[in-house]
Amino acid sequence: MQQLFFFGKHTISNTLNIYIKTSNGSTLSMNLNPQWDIKNVKEIVGPKLGLQPEELKIIFAGKELSDTVIIADCDLGQCSVLHAVKTKRPVKFDNSGVFSEELEDVGSKPLCETLKDLSNNEDLPDNNQQPKAHFYVYCATCKAMKQGKLRVRCHFCKSGAFTVHSDPQSWTDVLESKRITGQCENRPEECENILNNTEPTFADFYFKCAEHTSLGEDDEAVPLFLVRSNVRSIPCLACGDVCNPILVFPCLEGHVTCLECFNVYCSSRLRDRQFYQHAEYGYTLPCPTGCEHSYITEVHHFRLLSEPQYAQYQKFATEEYVLNAGGVLCPQPNCGMGIIPEGDCRKIACIGGCGFVFCRLCLQGYHIGPCDLPDPDNTDRKDCDYNVDPVRASQARWDEASKVTIKVSTKPCPKCKTPTERDGGCMHMVCTRSGCGFNWCWVCQTPWTRDCMGSHWFG
Amino acid sequence: MAGLSPSERRLQKELMSLVKEPPPGVTVNSDLIERNLLQWLINMDGASGTLYEGENFQLQFKFSNKYPFDSPEVTFVGPNIPVHPHVYSNGHICLSILTEDWSPALSVQAVCLSIVSMLSSCKEKKRPPDNAFYVKTCNKNPKKTKWWYHDDSV
Repeated sequence: MQQLFFFGKHTISNTLNIYIKTSNGSTLSMNLNPQWDIKNVKEIVGPKLGLQPEELKIIFAGKELSDTVIIADCDLGQCSVLHAVKTKRPVKFDNSGVFSEELEDVGSKPLCETLKDLSNNEDLPDNNQQPKAHFYVYCATCKAMKQGKLRVRCHFCKSGAFTVHSDPQSWTDVLESKRITGQCENRPEECENILNNTEPTFADFYFKCAEHTSLGEDDEAVPLFLVRSNVRSIPCLACGDVCNPILVFPCLEGHVTCLECFNVYCSSRLRDRQFYQHAEYGYTLPCPTGCEHSYITEVHHFRLLSEPQYAQYQKFATEEYVLNAGGVLCPQPNCGMGIIPEGDCRKIACIGGCGFVFCRLCLQGYHIGPCDLPDPDNTDRKDCDYNVDPVRASQARWDEASKVTIKVSTKPCPKCKTPTERDGGCMHMVCTRSGCGFNWCWVCQTPWTRDCMGSHWFG
Repeated sequence: MAGLSPSERRLQKELMSLVKEPPPGVTVNSDLIERNLLQWLINMDGASGTLYEGENFQLQFKFSNKYPFDSPEVTFVGPNIPVHPHVYSNGHICLSILTEDWSPALSVQAVCLSIVSMLSSCKEKKRPPDNAFYVKTCNKNPKKTKWWYHDDSV
C-alpha cells in the first residue's frame, strides 16, 4: 500500500514542494517541476528577493548548484530545503545589458552526483568508474532501515547554506567531525572568526531518511554505515548468496554477511546472551568469524533485528550495563529494575520500580543481620499487627515455589554467583554470563580440573 | 532456491561444491541428502600411506537452522569407527573446530579435511585413555561435551 502511494505521488502530482531559505532569513515555499534546471529556479527566486537571477547562488547539500543542473538529479525530496544566497562575484553584463552567457558557470553538480561510494579504506585510488554512493540509515520515524541521503551544514552555525571545498573520500571523513573544510554562506565572517581564525571553517555531515517527507532540517537519521551496496558482488560468508545490500564487518578482512544472515547471527547470539558489553561501544558483537578488533561500534545496527528481538536486546544491554557498573537488578518477578546504589549500602529499595526492599547480598527481602538465616517461616508471625493482602500472599507463595525450583535445579557459578542450570551434557560448566566465562565443575563447584575430567566428567 | 532458509541455501551450495570437487577420499550420496539437507552422511576412505589405508568410515553431520553460526554436530557412525586417540568408540570426535573454534567461515569440506588430516597424522592406533568411562556416561550429542583440547600432536 505504501509503495503504491509512493509511486502515485511522483507520477500524478509531478511537482516537488521545496522550501527556499534566503540570506535575509525568510523562507519561500515553492512548487518546482522536477524537469526544471537551477537557472529556472533563480529566475523565480531572484525577483522575490529584489535581485537579478545572476546575482544568486543556490546551495544544496554542501554544493553550489550550477545553472544547468536539473532538479530531478538533485536527490531532493518533498519539503527539502534549498538555500539561496547573494553571490559576491562581480556580475558582468554585456553592452545590451543581458547577462553574458560566456561567463564561466562556477557552480557544480549536486553532491549525490559527484560523491563516489565511500569505503573505509582511505587510500582508495581515485577512480571515476566507481559507482555512486548509497547510504542506509535507521529512521526513527519509519522505524526501519531506509535509504539515506547525505546532507551538509556548517559545523559552527549549523546552517545548510554551506559549500564544501572537497567531497568526503571515506566514511571517516563523514563520521568524524572537522575533516572536510568549506565555506559558510550563512554568516561567513562570524564562522570564519570562530577560534580566532586558528582553524578553517569545517563541514558537518548528517543523514536524512530518503523515504519519508522531510520533517524539517532537524529530521535526522542514524547512518548504518556497515550496510553497503554490494558493488563488488561479495558473497555472504554464511549463506553464500550475493545479496544487496550487505553488512560489512569492521574487521581488517571486511567479512560480509547478507542482512538476513546478520539477523540469524544476532538472534542466535542474543538467544545465548553472548553479546559483549564493550566499555566504549555498548552491548555489541564482533565479526562472526572471530576477527580481532571487529566489534560493531554503532549499536544502531542492531535495529536490523525484529521489534521483539530488539526489545530483548535493549533489556539485556541495560542489565549488563547495570551489573558492570556495580549495580543490582531488582529480584522481584516481572520487575528486574536496574538499580545502581550509592556506596556500600546493603539495603536496596526498588524506587521507581515495584518498591521492593531487598538485601543487596542475598537478593532476598531486606533483613537485619547476616544473610542465610534460618527460614523466616519458622518465626512466629501471629503477633503481627498488619493485614495480609491475599493477592500478595498468593504471589509470595509463587515466589517461594520459584525459589525452591531455582535452589533445587541450579548451582551458582563459583566466580560470579549466577544461578546456573545444567540441562544435560557433561559436568564441565562454562559460565555463559558475558564477561565471566569461568570454567567450573558441577560436582565440586570449584574450578574445573584434570581430576574432575578423570573421575566424574559425566557424573 | 526461493523458499529455502539461509542455512538451507548455504548447505545446498556446500553440497554442490562437495559433489563437484570432493577432497581426496571423500564421497557423498547427494540424492539421500537432498531429501533432508539438515542431516548428511559422508563416506571417507583412510588415506593411503597412513595407518587407516584400506579402511572406510562414515561421518554423520547434523545441522541446526542457525548453521553456519552454530557448528554442525559431527560423529563417526556405522560399523567401522576409526581407532584413534581423539575418536571415542561411540563415534564422538574430540576436535576443537567442532565446538569452540568453530567459525562460520568453515564448511563441511573444511571439517572433512581436518578429520582426514587428524587421522593421517596418527602414529598409534588406540582409543582415548578415558574411552570406556566417557562412552558409558556421555550425552548422545557430542556438542554437549565440553572438551579440554590439550593434545594437538596426534
